[in-house]
Amino acid sequence: MTRRILDHPVLGKIENNNYVSFIFNNKVYKGLENESLAAALLSHGIRTLRYHEDSGSPRGFYCNIGHCYECRVSVNGQSGIRACVTPIKEGMIVESNGPLQPLNKEDRRLENG
Amino acid sequence: MIICRCEEVSYKELATTAAIYKCSARELKLRTRAGMGYCGGRSCRTMIDKIANTSASTQDRAYVSLKYQPPIRPINFGNLGGQNK
Amino acid sequence: MDNAIIIGSGPAGLTAAVTCAENGIEVIVIDEYMLAGGRLLGQLYQEPNGSWWNGIKESTELYKKAVDLGVKFHLNTAVNNIEKSNSLWVIYTEKGEFCTSNLLLATGAAESPIPVPGWTLPGVMSVGAAQVMTNVHRVKPGERGVIIGVNVLSAAIAMELQLAGVEVACLTLPKMNPITEDAGHPRKVLNSLLHVSHMAPSPFVRYGSKLMKNEFMKKLGVTFYPKKGVKMWNIPIQLRKAVIEICGENEVEGVKIATISTEGEVVPGSEEYIQVDFVCIAGGLYPLAELAAVAGCPFYLIEELGGYVPLHNERMESSLEGLYVAGNITGIEGAKVAAAQGRTAGLSIAHRSGVKGLESSIRDSIEMTQQIRNSAHIQFHPEVEVGRKKVLKQWEAYQANKRREVI
Repeated sequence: MTRRILDHPVLGKIENNNYVSFIFNNKVYKGLENESLAAALLSHGIRTLRYHEDSGSPRGFYCNIGHCYECRVSVNGQSGIRACVTPIKEGMIVESNGPLQPLNKEDRRLENG
Repeated sequence: MIICRCEEVSYKELATTAAIYKCSARELKLRTRAGMGYCGGRSCRTMIDKIANTSASTQDRAYVSLKYQPPIRPINFGNLGGQNK
Repeated sequence: MDNAIIIGSGPAGLTAAVTCAENGIEVIVIDEYMLAGGRLLGQLYQEPNGSWWNGIKESTELYKKAVDLGVKFHLNTAVNNIEKSNSLWVIYTEKGEFCTSNLLLATGAAESPIPVPGWTLPGVMSVGAAQVMTNVHRVKPGERGVIIGVNVLSAAIAMELQLAGVEVACLTLPKMNPITEDAGHPRKVLNSLLHVSHMAPSPFVRYGSKLMKNEFMKKLGVTFYPKKGVKMWNIPIQLRKAVIEICGENEVEGVKIATISTEGEVVPGSEEYIQVDFVCIAGGLYPLAELAAVAGCPFYLIEELGGYVPLHNERMESSLEGLYVAGNITGIEGAKVAAAQGRTAGLSIAHRSGVKGLESSIRDSIEMTQQIRNSAHIQFHPEVEVGRKKVLKQWEAYQANKRREVI
């Protein structure tokens, strides 16, 4: 079952069928070349793109136009890449980032005054 | 209910801090880290201003110099150091 | 030959680029998105005459026109900072620096958030995000969703989602709290909808709206507003319900909705659970003016224009020399007005660069913008005219002050 809107009553059929493969968290997926990474993953039903650095709570894209940075993932080793504005390319390696391990539990939050 | 998504600061934390210290939006940010996360405060800035204003007095907000500090998009150290050039 | 740099490739930026290039100016357009077209890309609605306004088609045409005229595009390029150095504007991006004597900021608008418990779950997105996914990327945001926040934009996008085969369970309000304020108050929301009631396809809603105009009738209208909501384009609009929580363990699984009084207060015991797999948050648009702020523009809070607006005049000049603004950054109005403003900005830049004989074209363009504004089918704020007048008044006051300082 695809989440792609292959035929639309006004916009018509999707003309592009140039699918490429990319890797997300060690699994291979296919997406349309040059569509956004967030869209390619969404077409597979994947909406969790990372886990909050502190609490570990799952996060996905929110604004989808590059403002909120919720969709940030590592692409080919570089972190902080916004999945919603990044076009997929053949062989791209994408990874979710997870919670950071604190050195010392007491350092995790600055006290409030 | 989370207000600052990046730093996971809740409404309760912000409202309580604002009530105790009767502070400006800037002080609220410094005390709770709300507005100082990855997105640069873009998502929660107006909400923090609202919370701070309900505690303190509303100044004349007609004419402002909006305080935005560059860089307004995150730069990684590699780029700064010329690594990718 | 002078050059110009335009930040933002939406309707305003693209039209300004075309206008500059037509007048012999070398243009570079910078945009952080991977496609040109800005928010125009996702737009899809039916005009009163039955034809479809297709954002992808419109932006592709404009983009092609610009490219054919020699405009250079740097897409997927984020701007970090802009600074005045001698008489030039320096634009800092992650891919290098650019310089120009004429800089146009056409960065458009951003969406205001409405916080709701559970809104950080994957599957919760801004309503614009759903529009982009559906119309631009052609991927469904989910199978069945709820839209929180009832306004022009959310109603239009609800229809677009439905058109694409996505089920919209309802359009409803957020629970009222000090942050959500008016968005959660049924009467205030009804107020804001009355000026778009002419768009309603249902004669009942249209006729009903005529009666709504005075306060007493509005109160009555909200009191009697059917608990089941009123259907517009077959989507229930619930002004007497509010989402109190978005639920799910790792992703959106459903929402808790409660009935609210006419003043927006939750009726205890009325909570029910609706199964949905995505939620859209529609908090309204505000001008995205970070770069204008970083450059040092003075701002004015003008509610009719959507928020803080950089000081500017009808020729799209800001108070800083060589810096122009056009499009939603000047106030929320929509693509057609943005394009008209882009044209004015392009002409102003060409004029400043020494191209002769443009005065009457500039005046015509300003008038055209006003005409387009008056005949706009969709208006984001009923008092946009008032907002525009306020900006001009502030501009005049600012110029008067400057003259006094010189003396």
